[in-house]
Amino acid sequence: MPGEPERLDHPVYVYLIFIAMLITMLAILAGVVYHFALSPHGPAIAAPLKAKYEKKHASAILEEARRLEELEIHRHFHNITPFPQLAENERPVCFICHSDYPHSKSKKVRSLLNMHTQYFVCETCHIKEKEGARIVYKWYNPFDDDPQGPFFGTSYDPETGNLVEVDDLISKIAAFFINKDKLESTLQIQDAPLALDYMKVRDKLTPEQRDSVKKKFHVNIKPKGHDCKICHSKEGLLDFEKLRFSENRIVDLEQLNIKGMITKYEEFYLPNLFQESKPEDSKAKDAGKPRL
Amino acid sequence: MKASKTYLAACLKAAVVFIVLTAGLFAEAADKENCIMCHKYRFVGRIDEDGKKINYNVNENTYARSVHRNVPCRDCHTYITKLPHDPVTEEVNCANQCHVKPPFSDENFSHQKIIETYNQSVHGIKPEDSPELKQAKPYCKYCHFNPLYERVDEKRIAFEETLLRCQNCHEQKGVTQAYQHITHRLRHKTSRSPQQIVRLCAKCHQDMELMQKLKASDVSLTAVKTYNRSIHGQAVMLGSQEAADCVSCHATSALHDIYKKDEEKATVHKDNLQTTCKQCHVKTNKRFIQIAVHSDITRKEKPALYFIRTSLHLALYGTVFSLLGLLLLETCGRKKDGLKWQIRRGTTWRGKSKRTPETKRS
Repeated sequence: MPGEPERLDHPVYVYLIFIAMLITMLAILAGVVYHFALSPHGPAIAAPLKAKYEKKHASAILEEARRLEELEIHRHFHNITPFPQLAENERPVCFICHSDYPHSKSKKVRSLLNMHTQYFVCETCHIKEKEGARIVYKWYNPFDDDPQGPFFGTSYDPETGNLVEVDDLISKIAAFFINKDKLESTLQIQDAPLALDYMKVRDKLTPEQRDSVKKKFHVNIKPKGHDCKICHSKEGLLDFEKLRFSENRIVDLEQLNIKGMITKYEEFYLPNLFQESKPEDSKAKDAGKPRL
Repeated sequence: MKASKTYLAACLKAAVVFIVLTAGLFAEAADKENCIMCHKYRFVGRIDEDGKKINYNVNENTYARSVHRNVPCRDCHTYITKLPHDPVTEEVNCANQCHVKPPFSDENFSHQKIIETYNQSVHGIKPEDSPELKQAKPYCKYCHFNPLYERVDEKRIAFEETLLRCQNCHEQKGVTQAYQHITHRLRHKTSRSPQQIVRLCAKCHQDMELMQKLKASDVSLTAVKTYNRSIHGQAVMLGSQEAADCVSCHATSALHDIYKKDEEKATVHKDNLQTTCKQCHVKTNKRFIQIAVHSDITRKEKPALYFIRTSLHLALYGTVFSLLGLLLLETCGRKKDGLKWQIRRGTTWRGKSKRTPETKRS
């Protein structure tokens, strides 16, 4: 009305109250809509639609996988502790086809071999030697060019005697070629052009074409990994000290045989498993030998 | 206050007795054969011929916090006779005697007694059960993980302070372990929360397909749904630790003695209902127990209740959605009039209406 004082802009707190009230009202609205549509406490009028959607997108394979996971949790009993998992695209290309449990052929040792996937990338054991290039082993972390640790399994807790719990559970020991002082990773990551291209077109390839590409991923991979004594001995392949393992941990890893493991396996199970491989061994297609 | 002091004193006495009697056990390592040497690694496991992923990892730090931490591995895994061992094909029998002697007893500990109770319950496998039912009935490990010691609510017992006093005379390790063992059990009925209990039971009882296959009664078929709608269910869903969960009503302190409601031993049998309800509702009488806990309000069976509930729903939704509708209509109307929506200068609506005379608008 003419003559009335003009309204001024509100102070800031009025706007803050308005925002708080708006959020509250929207939350109540969302709650009421959920209660009305889906909640088991309400009329659930949208429940048939949800069921229809779920039925349409149901997958017998996925359901079975979930059922087996659930059963495994109950079978296990000893509280499966959560372990950080990298996203599919952050893992090396091997994980396009293989899982964290890649060894399955040798019934006696497959679990023990799979145990190493916590420490190693596949190439650490399975990379083919290259002429003129020496192999060195370093910790690899997809998010850190020079991971400093402390890494899992490298030291014991002096109080409990258990392995020290650490934050870095992602880093793994990986193989690198040294060629003329230049460090070259043996790892095939999913960001590599071949891997990116394969992921883009794999659904369009025929089974034969897919097999052909897979072969390319395995060009530098040997089917049989290292024998245990190659690493678990005093003059082993891995320099545990450089890899920052503690003194007493190194003793245990290098002297597994003294603790009896290797001797017992030799005696009970696979007399040839822990021996140095002979050239013809790698050609032998013995089911008892661990192979990818 | 007095009651809590008596309670605390009793706990402490029990802890001291427990420590004295089991001191030798704590000194011994449970993993004499060093099974953890291999099993401590996260990916020790395999995918078997049937495509099943099997993991054999036992986290040593988690195991050290579990109630079985003093039980040697082979007390349960009796079929392991050599190391390295053959692939395991047998299951653990929880009725085995282990090499831990409970306080005041010369006999080795066993879960035999509770298993006998369980076997008699509705969940125990009976000879007359169909193969599907036998297969579906839960076994020990289906409901029980290796239980971890959890401290009892700090409000009830000041854990740290009490322990500090114990450690004036006793070694820290033994006292802490014994104290945790006792306080872990000092919960209402089970060491699990009501929410955990409801989730656990619902795993099977909510599975309509499974329940129909097992020819469950109509009441059983909707048991989880009707519980969730009940006052108990809603309180538990909102986080209550006091409200009744499944075990509160369907089992005695033996926890595993769950029977069909027609059986005389059942806590929910009509003759036992008053005692069961009295656990929480002290003034329970014959009329009180007639209130249906798993009430499914259908038009056919309970028309009056159905009508009242529907009316209340209509009132709730009617109010909320009418208000929203009005707001929406008002907004549309004002927009149509040419007003702008903005939060400035004292009003959310600015501008001149096409219909209102100019003099009435500032």
